[in-house]
Amino acid sequence: MAVIETDGLSKYYGDVRGVEDLTFGVEEGEVFGFLGPNGAGKTTTIRTLMGFLSPTGGSATVLGADVRDAGALRAARARIGYLPSDPGLNENVTGRRLIEYHGALRGDVRSDELLELFEPPLDRKVGEYSRGNRQMLAIVLAFMHDPDLVIMDEPTSGLDPLKQERFLEFVRAERERGKTFFFSSHILGEVRKVCDRIGIVRDGFLVELEDVESLIDRTGKLVRASVGGTVTPEEFTIEGAHDVTVGGETTPDETATDGGEETLVTFTYTGAYEPLLRHLLRYDLRDLAIEEAPLEEVFMRFYGEDDAEAVVERVERERRAAEGEDTELEAADV
Amino acid sequence: MSTETVERTDRREHTGSALDVARFEGERRLRVTGVIVVLVALFGALFVALSPDVTTAADIDQLTEAMPPAFRELFGIETLGSLEGLLAGEFYVFSWVVGLAGYLAYSAAGSVAGDLRADRMDTLLAAPVSRTNVLLGKFLALLVPIVVVNVAIPLVLYAGSVLIDDPLSLTDLAALHALAIPYLLCWAAVGLLAGVVVRRGRTASRVALGLVVAAWLSESLVASTDYDWVGTLSPMRYFDPAAVLLDGTYDLAGAALLCGVAAAALVAARTAFVRSDL
Repeated sequence: MAVIETDGLSKYYGDVRGVEDLTFGVEEGEVFGFLGPNGAGKTTTIRTLMGFLSPTGGSATVLGADVRDAGALRAARARIGYLPSDPGLNENVTGRRLIEYHGALRGDVRSDELLELFEPPLDRKVGEYSRGNRQMLAIVLAFMHDPDLVIMDEPTSGLDPLKQERFLEFVRAERERGKTFFFSSHILGEVRKVCDRIGIVRDGFLVELEDVESLIDRTGKLVRASVGGTVTPEEFTIEGAHDVTVGGETTPDETATDGGEETLVTFTYTGAYEPLLRHLLRYDLRDLAIEEAPLEEVFMRFYGEDDAEAVVERVERERRAAEGEDTELEAADV
Repeated sequence: MSTETVERTDRREHTGSALDVARFEGERRLRVTGVIVVLVALFGALFVALSPDVTTAADIDQLTEAMPPAFRELFGIETLGSLEGLLAGEFYVFSWVVGLAGYLAYSAAGSVAGDLRADRMDTLLAAPVSRTNVLLGKFLALLVPIVVVNVAIPLVLYAGSVLIDDPLSLTDLAALHALAIPYLLCWAAVGLLAGVVVRRGRTASRVALGLVVAAWLSESLVASTDYDWVGTLSPMRYFDPAAVLLDGTYDLAGAALLCGVAAAALVAARTAFVRSDL
């Protein structure tokens, strides 16, 4: 049985769309990455699954409990951990007292063990905590009752890179113990490290579900290079480079002493670093940044279009065709 | 293996109760309660200490007579010629009828609206605890200031009155503070309702406080006018310290009514809270 199952789940705030027609399932023991740019409806979905918001359409079950059934969902929450990006915590108490309180509410079977991994300053008031310490405390609260399912909304924001790594490692270990994770993020990099499957939500629509590997294969790094002199896009049609734009955001460097003009070249790149760097070094390289491609970029390259509704329509059509359904495809009434 | 199964079963059935919430929230009210007790005790002691001078002043009753009726209603002044009259007229109006009621309404509203605004409600309700129990726990936590203040202050006043050789009636004091509890519970429940309905953090608290002040003013200002009936809508009408201390009459029906209003406000708050999005 799926741990999380949604069918056409929609949430509107008045006329404003939170999410629409979300259909997906999360299987037991998997780490499901729920990707989307900021404002895509990830938090709305998660808060609906937790029962904080009631859906305006469709249905969803979490650990078998209907999200509209407050009683069933309350019982299910004994087996659910919740870790938001910026958790609301009582400020006027010490971390220790807060752990004790939430232990009384949800049961405490492993806070001692967790506190060896994540070390918020327990005897200080939570109000004095740094963002990272707050997040570590929230991690302890989310896992202290050893839940079967953990729903996380951008859980690593606020953690420094070392702690992020430790946390992701912890998630992997918990997955080995059989825990299921629903992991929302807008950072592909962290999702690819731990997730088995991902879905992308955009403008409130769920767009694609597929293996992480196949998505990674199609994703590249975003390369931004400033080179002296002028260059043409053709010069950068090296293998693995896509969407080369030259001088789109040319910034003539007025402080440059050699008086030379500077050209900004940006493109996405998939492949090994060596040929890329070799190519770049042929130029008068002034500045270079290679970073994770933003999700929007991935999305556009991935689907070749920027219109989420059109994408949904096409993906739906393809899926139905793949499933061999002979039902007439309704014009996507989105 | 078997113990693990037992453990898991236990855990699956774990439920957070209203008492868990009340314990935590009540604990956090202890400090403010202490501050309130000290301030109100000092305020009360001041009245007791000054009373021999004030009540024996030759023209105090004339002075009282000379006050505008609305003014006397506002401050519940019936007579300033006795310690009881002095306490009922000024002390209890300021500290109980308006002060404590205002604090409880403000604080109750904030305990819900503040949690909603700061996302603490999400953290709380991520646990296996029902919204009803969260609300009930927050309400029960308000019993901490209500009970502590209503036990400590009469003792202070009584001790003070013995010291100045003008002992208050213990029975009346006890009755007054017993009757104060439904009155304050009523405002706490109304505050909770404001917190659930108005939300928006401090705004809800201000609305709740505004309701207390508005109820007080309307009850006082319409008294002895043609619009006296308006005052029947105000909780202040059903809690009258002067009647208890000066006449020894206890408005039990009023207290019951206040309990009823408190219960109705709680039910309304619960209904709204269970249905609303966080």
